[in-house]
Amino acid sequence: MSEYILELNDITKIFPGVKALDKVRFNLKPGEIHALVGENGAGKSTFIKTLTGVHQPDGGEIILEGKKVVMSDPIVAQKYGIAAIYQHAASYPDLSVAENIFIGHEFKRGPFINWNKANREAKKLLDSVGADFSPTVSVGSLSVAQQQLVEIAKALSMNAKILIMDEPTAALSRRESEDLYAISRKLRDQGTAIILISHRFEDIYGLADRVTVFRDAQYIGTWDMPVEEHILVHHMVGREITQLFPKKKTEIGGELLKIDKLSRTGYFRDVSLNVHAGEIVGLTGLVGAGRTEVMEAVFGITKPDSGEVYFEGEKITGITPIEAMKKGIGLLPEDRQKQALLLSWSINYNISLSVLEKCIYGIFLNRNKEYTFSDDLKKLLAVKAPDSNTHTGALSGGNQQKVVVAKQLAADPKLIILDEPTKGVDVGSKAQIYEIMSDLAAQGMGILMISSEMPEVMNMSDRIYVMSEGKVSAEFQAEGLTQDTILKAAMPKSKE
Amino acid sequence: MKKVKSFLKSWEFFLICLMVLVCIAFNLKDSANLAAGLAKKDVFNFANIIKSLRPYMLYSFMTLGMMLILALGDMDISVGAIATLSVVVLAVLYRALTVGGMISGLAFALSIAACLLVGVLCGAINGILVTRFKELFPMIITLATQLFFRGFSYLLIGGETITFKDDTFGLLKNLNSLIDCGSFKLPVMIPIFLICALVFFIVLHLMPTGRRIFAIGTNATAARFSGIRVDRIKVGCYIVAGLMSAVTGLFFVGATSSSVKADIMDGYHMYAIAAAVLGGFSTDGGKGSVIGAVISLFIFGIVKIGLGTLFGFADSSVNLSVGVILILSVLLPNILEDVRNAQRVRRQRAETAAH
Repeated sequence: MSEYILELNDITKIFPGVKALDKVRFNLKPGEIHALVGENGAGKSTFIKTLTGVHQPDGGEIILEGKKVVMSDPIVAQKYGIAAIYQHAASYPDLSVAENIFIGHEFKRGPFINWNKANREAKKLLDSVGADFSPTVSVGSLSVAQQQLVEIAKALSMNAKILIMDEPTAALSRRESEDLYAISRKLRDQGTAIILISHRFEDIYGLADRVTVFRDAQYIGTWDMPVEEHILVHHMVGREITQLFPKKKTEIGGELLKIDKLSRTGYFRDVSLNVHAGEIVGLTGLVGAGRTEVMEAVFGITKPDSGEVYFEGEKITGITPIEAMKKGIGLLPEDRQKQALLLSWSINYNISLSVLEKCIYGIFLNRNKEYTFSDDLKKLLAVKAPDSNTHTGALSGGNQQKVVVAKQLAADPKLIILDEPTKGVDVGSKAQIYEIMSDLAAQGMGILMISSEMPEVMNMSDRIYVMSEGKVSAEFQAEGLTQDTILKAAMPKSKE
Repeated sequence: MKKVKSFLKSWEFFLICLMVLVCIAFNLKDSANLAAGLAKKDVFNFANIIKSLRPYMLYSFMTLGMMLILALGDMDISVGAIATLSVVVLAVLYRALTVGGMISGLAFALSIAACLLVGVLCGAINGILVTRFKELFPMIITLATQLFFRGFSYLLIGGETITFKDDTFGLLKNLNSLIDCGSFKLPVMIPIFLICALVFFIVLHLMPTGRRIFAIGTNATAARFSGIRVDRIKVGCYIVAGLMSAVTGLFFVGATSSSVKADIMDGYHMYAIAAAVLGGFSTDGGKGSVIGAVISLFIFGIVKIGLGTLFGFADSSVNLSVGVILILSVLLPNILEDVRNAQRVRRQRAETAAH
């Protein structure tokens, strides 16, 4: 018997038009955390779905504990002890924690469910993952981090030998991530084998024992950790990235945006900040600190209760999004798939959507004008796609984000607000997005970047604001700043 | 060449084929009837079809309004009730004004204006409710307003049938008249409808407004972040749908010898939805073609005429065939897509094996 609990050899998966996996390999030892990394579209998700029986492979074999198995559907995979936890926990929000944990394998007493036993067992499982909430509360009332604990408890209840975590920390704050690391290590030490998929290097370096890289649907290699970061990046991207943060020195101009004591009950209070032309201002803090909500109030998605917003000296409090765009403010929303893109529409249609009045001839839309617009911007931002008629849903995360940036630029803004611009974007595209930001600032545009990623906040910003519990808790000049100083300002005061 | 290819693959082309097929089938049956001596002359010919289309063109105006609502990804099932309420108001007001001594021409003009206004107002109520209470499904909201509008019609006239015999009100009958075109008689409804349809085609497919409507239907949140005034456009669409319902009501009164009751045009919203959906509009929103919906209206009319005149089915039992056409044709693209995908995967697999 080999040292591996799980081996996948030469797995091939073909979708109409694309080869999603091309003879990839992967193996897993019991009691290890094995990271699977690669850029968006490298085939990680397809690979996981093949392993959990959602997709059937077109070739290759899966060997589990020395025996060849066929994962004909997700229930079979479950029976073999394979459980997956996704970024957006796929649970039943209206059911209780205990119901979620034992759904499909309830404790029965005759034809009825034995609730006492279910709640008791659920409590034991929750204790083992360090969760302090009751098994009877509904899952929908829990935070994302707590919901993930429920999913882990559910996996344990099925005696999972192999646990797959797909971007588990993407929606978690730093402290919640640390908690998840601790639980993962505990499970590993108890003998559970964990497959970790993440874009965050912090996760990979903090947890993984080994790392496997996929690129363009192919297997690149497996290494024992630690691997030097630039080597890992090189394998993932397939080329050397010389400078991840290409920040240029720029001339800081006049004040563009001024927010003065802006408040919205329950979301943020007395927020004051400003942005100058040519300046990149970082706005950081924990998830839920109210950063996104402030920007939505500035852009007119929501109405603030009190306080003022000025743009180029003019009061613009309470305007609508279309007015904000006409004044020269662009907002790149946090969730690009839900808030920024029409995924079933082409790149061309997406870019022109907010500037249709510039693409008309008489009263009719003029396709040529639209194409001129989108092709120019697409070229400028180096969006990788066959042509402007490609659906945005078919693009990788990084290229989708570039389309969203192009859409903002089409409206010719003076200030753009970027909300988590590199969330879920692979490292190659990240570098390109940073370069675009630098270029725009150099051309005199003001940029306000909301971000939870410390490296980009510290390396791209001229000035940094930190928000905590709905208030601006600190303002720093970026030079000579340390990560600890920022984190200290971001921590809620009540918990210190 | 590319354009021809994409046309041959288009839904509109499929609908045209469907219409031609239906016509050929009915023609064969018609000739068979003649040969067997069951009929004295052929009934399924162009002149007869065109003339008989009238009753099936009534809800075509409603379909135009429904297209906008479906493109938004919403649903409006109150359109039939709006049409009823607007003509009930028309009748009640006309009777009150003429009894009050106003000259009939002026009374007629005022009543028509009131009828259209009621359509607009009802549409506005729907639109405002739908945009204000986003947590409710538009179908539930318009279910409620449907009951309200119909109840209001009963409140106004009860079970009474209001009939007008005077010439001024009789002008509405002109909407149901036929134009003599030599070999056949063209219902005046058809050219009026085609002009309306052209306007909807231009707005929906050629102007920025239409693109924005489809954008809202595809992803309303992203549309809002793109600076589209989502709520304003939605209210506008509901108002147009209401107005087109009132127009439908006027044609209906014209076709029924100037009589009005509170239970007329029940279930018309279903025909309107059916025609729009067969025309390519999806209940998920963001899709659809005006040309497709127009062809679908004619297909429904032809099927009903054919089954009625050649097979002697009653109109209500012909609805069965409409249901079958709808289900099959909406499923067809999905089935074709599955077959195509399976072929592609098989081909790629063969290529991989060859390497």
